[in-house]
Amino acid sequence: MNEVMFYFIAAGVCIFSVLAVTQRDIFHCALWLAMTLLSVAGIYFYLDAPFLGVVQILVYIGGIITLFVFAIKLTAHIGYKSIRQTSKQWAIAAFITTILLCILIRVFATNPWSKMVLNVAPASMTQIGNSLMTNYAVPFEFMSVILLAAMVGAIVIGKDK
Amino acid sequence: MIPLGFFVFLSAFLFCVGIYGALTRRNVIGILISIELILNAANINLVAFNKYLAPKDALGQVFSLFVIAIAAAASVVGLVLIIAIYRNAKTLFTDGFTLMKE
Repeated sequence: MNEVMFYFIAAGVCIFSVLAVTQRDIFHCALWLAMTLLSVAGIYFYLDAPFLGVVQILVYIGGIITLFVFAIKLTAHIGYKSIRQTSKQWAIAAFITTILLCILIRVFATNPWSKMVLNVAPASMTQIGNSLMTNYAVPFEFMSVILLAAMVGAIVIGKDK
Repeated sequence: MIPLGFFVFLSAFLFCVGIYGALTRRNVIGILISIELILNAANINLVAFNKYLAPKDALGQVFSLFVIAIAAAASVVGLVLIIAIYRNAKTLFTDGFTLMKE
């Protein structure tokens, strides 16, 4: 049952991500990206990381996708459906990425850890909170500085003269 | 139970799809979408390795949180830049951005 669940979510990730980069209408791409991110959140739930899954849904689908939709709607004066969305090098790009994928899978499949099966208890949410507040407190604080800088930068760049 | 390799394969596939999108898209928003896919592939790897190899300290999940925050900041700045460029160049296609050449 659990395995079937994983294959279901993984197939969703694969199909939705391919649709997100190949669709012609950029608005549809953003919606397929939302579906991909939702499936990735499902992978997190499957991997016993519910906190991360919730953060993924909140931050990505609640925040970033909304931003994407706003940016698309603010700039969409061009007839997107009629204009070609991919560059002329799409065939060679597909070829190169397929080779890259084959090499990666070959390397991963020959490694011993690739067949490793789980036998330990998962990390709890308490551990995440403890790590964030003790060992990784400095990066955590730096993260807030980065977010503040991004917010100020976005306001300054986006301000109309 | 699913072996660790399957998660790594899934993340490799997502990464390659993201690379393909970033290489071929003419629309800048499409390139940003592809970059989000690549960052998610990295996140899947971090969480899977954390769960299978070192579940005692939640280092992988903490790092994934940092990656998500960085991705949010990056996409905010990127989308605002896109809107600012669109105001000047009136296009979103990468072959239309020739402001530096003129």
